[in-house]
Amino acid sequence: MLKLAIKDLRLIIHDKRAVILTLFLPIALISLFAFAFGGIGGGSNDANPISIFISDQDNTKMTKDVISELDTMKSLNIKQIAFEKGKAEVKKGSRVALLVFYKGFKDSVDNGSSPSMELFYDQSRQIEAGLLQQVLFSKLMGIVGQKTIKKSIKKMIEKNNPDLSPENLTIIQQKVDEQMNNFGKSDKNPANNSLGIKTTPVFAKAEQNLGLIQAVAGTAIMMLLFTVTGMGSGMLMEKEEGTLKKLLYSPIYPTSILFGKMIATIVVSIIQLSVMFIFAWLAFGLNIFIDFLSLILMILTTAFACASFGIFIASIAKTRKQVESYSTLIILVMSAIGGSMVPLFLMPAIMQHIAVVSVNYWGIQGFYDIFWRHLPITDVALRALVLVGIGSIMMLISIKNFKKNILSIA
Amino acid sequence: MNNILEVSNLSKKFGNVEALKRVSFSIKEGELYGLLGPNGAGKTTTINIISTISQPDTGYVKINETDLKNNSIECKKSIGVVPQEIALYNELSAYDNLMFWGSLYSLNYADLQNKIDETLSLMGLSDRKKDKIKTYSGGMKRRINIASALLHSPKILFMDEPTVGIDPQSRNLIFDVLEELHKNGMTIIYTTHYMEEAERLCDRIGIIDHGNIIAEGTLDELRETTKAEESINIHTENSEHINKGKIEQIKNFLDISNGVITFSSKNSGRDLPLILTELNKAEVGIQQIEIQKVNLETIFLNLTGRKLRD
Repeated sequence: MLKLAIKDLRLIIHDKRAVILTLFLPIALISLFAFAFGGIGGGSNDANPISIFISDQDNTKMTKDVISELDTMKSLNIKQIAFEKGKAEVKKGSRVALLVFYKGFKDSVDNGSSPSMELFYDQSRQIEAGLLQQVLFSKLMGIVGQKTIKKSIKKMIEKNNPDLSPENLTIIQQKVDEQMNNFGKSDKNPANNSLGIKTTPVFAKAEQNLGLIQAVAGTAIMMLLFTVTGMGSGMLMEKEEGTLKKLLYSPIYPTSILFGKMIATIVVSIIQLSVMFIFAWLAFGLNIFIDFLSLILMILTTAFACASFGIFIASIAKTRKQVESYSTLIILVMSAIGGSMVPLFLMPAIMQHIAVVSVNYWGIQGFYDIFWRHLPITDVALRALVLVGIGSIMMLISIKNFKKNILSIA
Repeated sequence: MNNILEVSNLSKKFGNVEALKRVSFSIKEGELYGLLGPNGAGKTTTINIISTISQPDTGYVKINETDLKNNSIECKKSIGVVPQEIALYNELSAYDNLMFWGSLYSLNYADLQNKIDETLSLMGLSDRKKDKIKTYSGGMKRRINIASALLHSPKILFMDEPTVGIDPQSRNLIFDVLEELHKNGMTIIYTTHYMEEAERLCDRIGIIDHGNIIAEGTLDELRETTKAEESINIHTENSEHINKGKIEQIKNFLDISNGVITFSSKNSGRDLPLILTELNKAEVGIQQIEIQKVNLETIFLNLTGRKLRD
């Protein structure tokens, strides 16, 4: 068995193309995704600011105050512009949106009616526009919303209580103002919203970068799946080239051939994953020593599950062409739903439930547990256990298929 | 001498096709046995069963008195197989290939190294041992293919059409190697559909056709038992205009294919003029006349009524 595994490893070492595909391509992709997910550049988790135009047609002290308040927000990059020009620029895609304060904005706020303003956004950038609306309106609510609400309340009290004396009306109004002014005053965190709900990230720690973890874990597992199916299809290559038949002439048990291939695939998987994390440590400063034991556990179990997947695909196919077709389809689907391509938290809830059927999900979540959530090894071990379970099931099916498909050569 | 291989009543079906029909034969230690037959006759199926990678539907095989079914691993240690296809790893050198294939037989490292050097020398490829297999010619690959089956010094060597598609130089070298191995007492089973190879190399020959051993023995014994006759091959000029019905009525007619009419004859000197007269009457234009002495080709023709390569 070991001799067979060593032979396979030697074959890979002698195949320059396989070495490049196994190590250098994943490194290049990890670097690319790390840039894409914002994983490079000082380890900050802040997203790039959203750029918008503002057109101030009201030109009052109130609008000036609002604009200067918005300008202090890190998540916004604002530029004042004339209305028509701003609309044209947004249409061209130069900025995400144009916020317009129409003439009479101040009056509308003072009257307690709907603020006279509008947001024009580029429809092709709906995700950014969605984020912008959330950021923008929570801030605007804090700045102008209170004034509007206070005026509305005053109007309502006056309307519903025409007999109320001016003194009592002033007292009530003062109480309302006091309550509204205190609403959210304890809020020292810039992340707090207009309702005064304090929000604190429970996972993130400044020394690790979510984008980088996503790039390394997601890409490494996806590329590993391609590597292992390539190695699994080596079994079919042996069948097509006659070496499998020759192996069967020798005094070894047929299943030794399968296990030999499995050992070689696991070894390559462990090497590939290790190299990816070492690269992320050296190149991007990912702290791989944060919980080294858990990392080793996750690398070993992910390697086992992925290797089993590679052997499984080879065992259900009859030719190498079939392996290529099946594996490309299955890996891309698994990677898409499992969070290798797009971080899982950005996906709809249903997709997050479906994700559990993929090897990628358990691997990536395990690495998140280590680097992001900083969970103890007992929690990481649960993910690892699932990976071992998935790997074992695929291995058992592979043994059955191997006997049926691969050995039917005489 | 003892029988080193006993094959008894082997049958094998693939779907509705009966590949082997109760095939039986035995081989004595040190014999070079030829299994001769056309493509699809059952040679490779027989070799696959004897070399343990295929199970027979009925029958048994004993190698060195060990039952193959009950102890296949032990039997495998006694045999070496040279498959029809070149089964080597192209990315590895000849030496690395041999090291791998030899290591499967649990030889110790030093012994294996010595055996590899010895075998490469026998194959005339010592100077190329570090080169990758992918740089070898077809004939050289065939020689390494054979070498890989010899490393554990098997008691029986199965060779399944080892000379298919190779150059004459490599073919002669393989013949020399086989004769050397045979001289040193190795038992060899050699399948081929080339008569001249079987005639040159084999002590005994089994002729297999449609899954049956139809004759077995030394060349002389086969000549005797089949009462094979010389064959007269007439190469015709206008094959498309030949009246086949008339030709088939000529005495001693055997076969007509590809413009060649074949007749059998106990005495070609006496029969040839009569045949030529009849052909003349049938208005057959004659291009060339060939008289073939009794050999495996004529024996096979005599046994089956067909030429071996049909």
